[in-house]
Amino acid sequence: MDDGFAIAYVSAVAPAQFQVEVLTNRPLTGGYFVLELASARANPVAEATPGQFVMLRGEWGRDLLNGRAFSVLQPIDSPTFSVLLKGFGRGTTLMQQMQPVDRMTVTGPLGRGFPAPGRGRTQLLVAGGVGLPPLHLQARIAAATGHADRVEMLYGGRSAADLVLTDQLADWGIPTVLATEDGSRGEQGRVTGPLLARLDRAAATGEAIEILSCGPTPMLRALRSIGLARKLPTYLCLEEQMACGFGVCLGCAVPVYGPKPYKYCCTDGPVFEANEVRW
Amino acid sequence: MSGEAKRAAQPVADATSETPSGGHHGSSRSAGPERAKRAAQPDTAAGGKIDLACEFGPLRLRNPILTASGCFAYGQQFAAFMDLRELGGLSTKGISPLPRHGNPLPRIYETAAGMLNSIGLENVGCQAFLAEKLPFLADLGVSVWVNFFGTDFDTYVECARTLGEGGKGRIDVLEMNISCPNIKKGGIEFGTVPEVAHRLTKACVEVTDIPIVVKLTPNVSDVVAMADAVKQAGAVGVSLINTITGMAIDVRTRRSRIATTYGGLSGPAIKPVALRMVHQVSRALPGFPICGMGGILSGEDALEFLIAGAHCVQAGTINFSEPAAALRITEELRALMAELGIRSVADAVATLEPHPPEPAHALAIPATETEPC
Repeated sequence: MDDGFAIAYVSAVAPAQFQVEVLTNRPLTGGYFVLELASARANPVAEATPGQFVMLRGEWGRDLLNGRAFSVLQPIDSPTFSVLLKGFGRGTTLMQQMQPVDRMTVTGPLGRGFPAPGRGRTQLLVAGGVGLPPLHLQARIAAATGHADRVEMLYGGRSAADLVLTDQLADWGIPTVLATEDGSRGEQGRVTGPLLARLDRAAATGEAIEILSCGPTPMLRALRSIGLARKLPTYLCLEEQMACGFGVCLGCAVPVYGPKPYKYCCTDGPVFEANEVRW
Repeated sequence: MSGEAKRAAQPVADATSETPSGGHHGSSRSAGPERAKRAAQPDTAAGGKIDLACEFGPLRLRNPILTASGCFAYGQQFAAFMDLRELGGLSTKGISPLPRHGNPLPRIYETAAGMLNSIGLENVGCQAFLAEKLPFLADLGVSVWVNFFGTDFDTYVECARTLGEGGKGRIDVLEMNISCPNIKKGGIEFGTVPEVAHRLTKACVEVTDIPIVVKLTPNVSDVVAMADAVKQAGAVGVSLINTITGMAIDVRTRRSRIATTYGGLSGPAIKPVALRMVHQVSRALPGFPICGMGGILSGEDALEFLIAGAHCVQAGTINFSEPAAALRITEELRALMAELGIRSVADAVATLEPHPPEPAHALAIPATETEPC
């Protein structure tokens, strides 16, 4: 499955911990919101690649002890970047309430991201719900580097409200297929439906495909099965409970095949090849 | 913004910029006013900085703030965030004779002001540690505490011997973990039965020249008996406390939040328990070195432990969310000691004051004194 390109689409920058201020907190539909965060000086998240993440903490005391991991949505300029979140648990609910000039602590960029676009194979970016950010950034970079025709987005959610930031995909000229479980937008059903149809078409024409995916674990499990069954390079951006994000707490173990039974979501991932994950 | 976060934002407050509150502390004995006077004129002999050098049994530490085992890996990851040479010392991830791969998922879960973990003592094993991890640590010039454990009596002793021989001159302390809640085989009686702990400690002390500090579990009814047992066996001190066994449940799946059902609770949630145990051991075994830990987030937390009787402390869980925390805590401690007129770490250790006695109760309300207003 290795076609000569290592998965390590790693930025060379060392992570740092630094303070940021909330520039904007932009609510979207479905409980989603985009936080735009800026540090006083340039920060290394500017070099983040799709799939790399940051640990975020607000100044809310120590009842909430640890940072929370979020993929970088967009490194906007050297001091500024954004993340896409959804109000879900205690931490994200507090973040939903954050206002401009509220301060947060960021650790990052962390982890290893997706392979770069434009390497020969057509990249199918399969996003489910909160898994959008790394693939949205991948699409952004593909468009910016003249590879918009080398990536396609397949993006699914429960209902229309769960599909956000789709205007930009259209602006960049990224072919996009939407799917909702209730049929309120795009095709009805799960995103795996249109994916399978697309894979059938590619198989018929001999088109070289790779799958890049991020979303809820059940979706990633399904994609892993599809990728393995069709012998396609398949990359999964995983999510695990994480206390530190830089390889110390060892909480975010990912079961893998190989000499060691576990790798770490934070330092070996969060992007893993489907065939190494022991699910 | 919480008080803790405010301090984090201004790590090195000028010791003289805030009025010492004083009153609640130390004012009930004659040293009180003298302390207050010192506070008004911080010791400037060492460039305005209090020297935090201190002693832990036979060891001399640059400062009393170390980082705790399991929360600092083997140190390298933190080099991106801090100058490791500023640490008082560090304690490594627990090392066993053979490498261990750790427990199934989920391994951690955050709880109110704390977190549960059941990592399973994953580590690279003695040989790889000595060859690949120790050289980096030994070059730092800080106090290197190597946490170790075995899965039975013989492997504990084997581990102490191997680390003792391979780490001579490079390891300052072997911190013997007889308290991890996350190994299944045997283990539990090492940390909970004084006679067993005594026998094990003695056997390990006999096979190495490196001082042994025993890390005790709080999951016992009499921590003093445990500390006394390992002291009699030749341990140079104890580390107090390891995590408290705990649990959390996902009501939707009715599964434990931790794959191994129970995990070890750490973080500020356990600090009061840790302080109490440090104080109990300190009171029962005066002068016996104690390394205190459990939810230390700030210089004030560290000073609480020193006052309770710890000779040094370890910061653990805080390293996950704030990798340079130990250095901030060190500077906060320095500033707080200056503010309170505490000249050295030794002047703080085991100095808990009793509350002043109340006037005796009586049924009749005393007659009002007739002083003019």
